Amino acid sequence: MGWHEVAGADALRDGEAIGVTVDGHPIALCRSGGELHALHNMCTHQFALLSDGYVEDGCIECPLHQGRFDLRTGAPLCAPVTEPVRIYAVKTEDGKVYVELGD
Amino acid sequence: MFSVNTVIGQPGSFAKERLDESHEYKWPEGGLQYIPDWVYTSPEIYQREIRRIFHGPTWNFVALEAEIPNPGDFKRSYVGPTPVVVTRDSDGAVRVFENRCAHRGAEFCRTQRGNVKEFVCPYHQWSYDLQGNLQGVPFKRGVKGEGGGMPKDFRNEDHGLLKLDVSTLHGVVFASFSKDVEPIEQYLGPRILKDFEVVFKERRLRILGYYRNELPGNWKLYHENLKDPYHATLLHSFLVTFGLMVAGSKNGMIADATGRHGTLASAKPEDVAAAVGAVKGEMRAYREDFKLADGRFLQYVREFDSPWSVTMQTIWPNLIVQRELNTLGIRHIVPNGPHSMIMLWTMFGYETDDEEMVRHRLRQGNLMGPSGFLGLEDNEAIKFVQEGVRRSPSDRGVVKLGGDTQGSTNAVIDEAAIRGMYAYYRRTMGL
Repeated sequence: MGWHEVAGADALRDGEAIGVTVDGHPIALCRSGGELHALHNMCTHQFALLSDGYVEDGCIECPLHQGRFDLRTGAPLCAPVTEPVRIYAVKTEDGKVYVELGD
Repeated sequence: MFSVNTVIGQPGSFAKERLDESHEYKWPEGGLQYIPDWVYTSPEIYQREIRRIFHGPTWNFVALEAEIPNPGDFKRSYVGPTPVVVTRDSDGAVRVFENRCAHRGAEFCRTQRGNVKEFVCPYHQWSYDLQGNLQGVPFKRGVKGEGGGMPKDFRNEDHGLLKLDVSTLHGVVFASFSKDVEPIEQYLGPRILKDFEVVFKERRLRILGYYRNELPGNWKLYHENLKDPYHATLLHSFLVTFGLMVAGSKNGMIADATGRHGTLASAKPEDVAAAVGAVKGEMRAYREDFKLADGRFLQYVREFDSPWSVTMQTIWPNLIVQRELNTLGIRHIVPNGPHSMIMLWTMFGYETDDEEMVRHRLRQGNLMGPSGFLGLEDNEAIKFVQEGVRRSPSDRGVVKLGGDTQGSTNAVIDEAAIRGMYAYYRRTMGL
């Protein structure tokens, strides 16, 4: 619940993803086109960390079977992924990145 | 279990399995009236059969559509000895591909049947869609920061599973490794198609169950046995004792124009008691004091538009369609080296069957199967032949009944259909 500090604002270059754990939740934090995004870090297809994947063109590609998700919506974009991945709100304040866990 | 141990013993134990490579496979003098033992024993001939027959221009049975009714349904199957997967893809089309991962060759599908969204090889988790296309390669781009991964020019489209051609006919699925095989109706020919349609056309099947057994004999012996009406009353004392088939009843051995397929047909005598009475003196196997404890067992419910109460179809190279009274089934032959075959049995009825009919089919199913009243005797006879040909210095069998005719015959004491099959076999095999 609420906003959690997860990283410094300079922790990610553009096109990069890192894995963080917030209150026990695995989260992939990515920067794409200057914008920050946070998604649940587990691929909805099989057991793989999205933060080990590739951030490109507003998407993240899972390293295991190349399934891609839209960073803004979490929507699955190609086979074999069919289920969306959960997304979280992100903000930057005073040089720090915060993620909101929600309900 | 002396005999079982000896026949399944190590390949290479017996003289006929150690033919040197310069051995000349020359058919014995006398044409088709002799069959050389090496067609049953030689590893080189077996390899040639796999190449020219099972992987050649033939349609191989792989599944019944009733086994895979829904998208994502699949079944593990075989074309010759080669493992394949049969699936229904998301568009409802039936697909058949090798059960061999395109990466390192693992037989990835380990479950007999089920429903999936995709196939994933357990070794390195390469994943394939329901059409056999390569979908995902784990760490295709390496591990971030550490390099590795596939070269940039690696294209998934070039590394899918090997796909076979597929034909379905009245709910029966056939596959072929070859592009040079004629359409399935032509492949069967009109005479075989006719009795095939009696069982399958406009019928919705209900699968009743499966058997599986190893049969320690060469795969061709199973075809021969069902192209051999001669053995029926002599080997199967059950047939005679209970009046299912006697030497005087109406029989037919129907072969297609090529000689490779066959239908062994008979019509159950209307008056069983009279028919048995007429011939019992001639039949060594007949036992007057034997009675079935349950008379329902041999009841024949007339449900087919056919003069035959029994049709056993051998469809080259790997399918038997069994219609014996009301018990229906598929036998799928999987060759397993020159001395062995795996027999996969699928018993079925129709969706329109009521519970009583299902019970009847199941009860009557005891005629066939690995330990059926009739089936077990065929299995034993085939094993005896393999044991004999494998270990003796004599080198040929005799198929002279009926002279030198080939193919269809109305005579029971006739081996014309076996000769017809070997005429075709020799052309195909270049022997």
